[in-house]
Amino acid sequence: MPRVISKNHIPNLLIHLKKSHDVFAPMEKEGEVVFGNVEDPTKVLLNYKTTLLPPKIYFLPPEEELFKVTNGRVQEEQLNNKFVVFGLSRKDLEAIVYLDQIMNKKPADTFYLNRRRAVTLIGVSEEEVGVPPGGDLILEKISDRYYRTLALTKKGKKIADLEFFEEKEINHKAKSHEATSKLDQILLDSELIARAIEWSRENYRQIWEHLGRVCLGCGICTYVCPLCYCTSTEDKTSFDQTVCSRCRKWDACTLPGFAKIAGGHNFRPTQAARYFNWFYHKFVRAYKEFGRAQCVACHRCQRYCPAGIDIEKVLEEIINAFQKAEPERKF
Amino acid sequence: MVSGVEPKPKLAIFDFTDCEGCEVALVSLREKLLDLAGEIEIVNWRLAQRRADEGPYDVVLIEGTPITQEEIDTLKFLREQTKILVGLGSCATLAGIPGIIDKESRGFWYKKIYGEKYKPRGIDALPLTAYVKVNYLIHGCPVEKKEVVRVMEELLAGKAPKPRGYSVCFECKLAGNPCRLLAKKICLGPITQGGCGAICISGGSPCYGCFGLRDSAQIDNLLHTLYKFSDSPEVEQYFSMFLKKTPEYARLFKRPRVKNGKT
Repeated sequence: MPRVISKNHIPNLLIHLKKSHDVFAPMEKEGEVVFGNVEDPTKVLLNYKTTLLPPKIYFLPPEEELFKVTNGRVQEEQLNNKFVVFGLSRKDLEAIVYLDQIMNKKPADTFYLNRRRAVTLIGVSEEEVGVPPGGDLILEKISDRYYRTLALTKKGKKIADLEFFEEKEINHKAKSHEATSKLDQILLDSELIARAIEWSRENYRQIWEHLGRVCLGCGICTYVCPLCYCTSTEDKTSFDQTVCSRCRKWDACTLPGFAKIAGGHNFRPTQAARYFNWFYHKFVRAYKEFGRAQCVACHRCQRYCPAGIDIEKVLEEIINAFQKAEPERKF
Repeated sequence: MVSGVEPKPKLAIFDFTDCEGCEVALVSLREKLLDLAGEIEIVNWRLAQRRADEGPYDVVLIEGTPITQEEIDTLKFLREQTKILVGLGSCATLAGIPGIIDKESRGFWYKKIYGEKYKPRGIDALPLTAYVKVNYLIHGCPVEKKEVVRVMEELLAGKAPKPRGYSVCFECKLAGNPCRLLAKKICLGPITQGGCGAICISGGSPCYGCFGLRDSAQIDNLLHTLYKFSDSPEVEQYFSMFLKKTPEYARLFKRPRVKNGKT
């Protein structure tokens, strides 16, 4: 018999988890859905499209102090508490699994991994999960009232064993998976995307020149991306010079300082070159390094680009142009 | 500039035409200001202390911008008196609010307010950089306390403080604000240097760019987006709030730039 939790019990589960953990979950803020510290569990959203910022904010914080040097002694920042991120979508879980793979690659990012070890990830899906993408526990909606548990780790199992869950036969099934987007379909062939983007650099430059005139260079696409992970490093020194701390902050390859080096030379002096790099890393370098594009089609960059750039359309156009230009190739 | 047996660096704070709000921001650093005062000697600060030593100084912070010849002379004199000159707040760094008004409309208001007999002394407000070399600009209307602390920390550590290389959008996204541009409302956030914490947008106001233009700001691209839902006069109003005395404003809105107020 499946182990289930009634919708009414979810706030009680969150209250229970809050006794021993900080609990973060999606909530509404001025019409946007954002992850935040749960104070009132009834405010937690179970059914939402996407959060503004992805859950990477909890493992790769936008600004973070890595270590301090006090009078010559190095002291790494300690994580105080174990925490829970609740209500993760399938896409976000998928992105976290990929980001884990990236951050685990040697030399591993220990700061990221420390935070990942401290967290318990609980996904919530309003539709059929299919192959669980990752996380510790997923709650899959199977009827108006009940969510079925999919415990993927010991941590997840421990939560599913709590008294808020029960063994119950439910005659309903999860809603079948919503039709996938065009972007999802494009992403099925990472190799084709990689080849097309690589080809476009010299052979379809007009699109990059056009995007260079549209992109605001604000960095939002990278901030909202669950798989962008580039940071820059900043050292701070206290007024009295006794404490020096090394901090890192999200950076964005669409910003002008990203490829600037000592002496002021910039490897990517134009917005077009910078915007191309964003695609090149996601779809070409990522493919060469990890065998697949660094995109899970969460649609955040499409939704939040203030200039209205839609990567789905950009990819589609480039792939079409590539296939037209190189018809003899078999894909 | 490392303290120790060496004497503490001497800091002086002066102001020209402005609202003094940035100095109030300095005062409201509170404990941080005391920490800072432990490492440097504040030898002249009209607003906050009696002590008013003459130069030379190590660091001079200047709030506001000159609008009379006398003030310009004082600014040039202070430049000679200090190793490092820092502009404090948007009036000093961009000409700010005093920079909005130009000679023509000033003439109109002089007559209206003071009568025909009034002999005007004021000139167009320009940023400090129009008159002297400025080593660092702390933008903001008012300045953000964290940025003041950062610049002072870096100066004390012997570093050259750098402008923020990211846009207001970074901190705006972190604040969880709905994007104004997506709601078809004018916002200069994408071309404006970050560091302000997106305080205006979080409070429901647009970004008028008081932190100055970011390096390689994509102004034309932003205009392309803005003109989808607004027109040039409306956009110009937003740019004229803090950016009126920038070369970019002159280029975009085709107004000849007034030099030193002597036209």
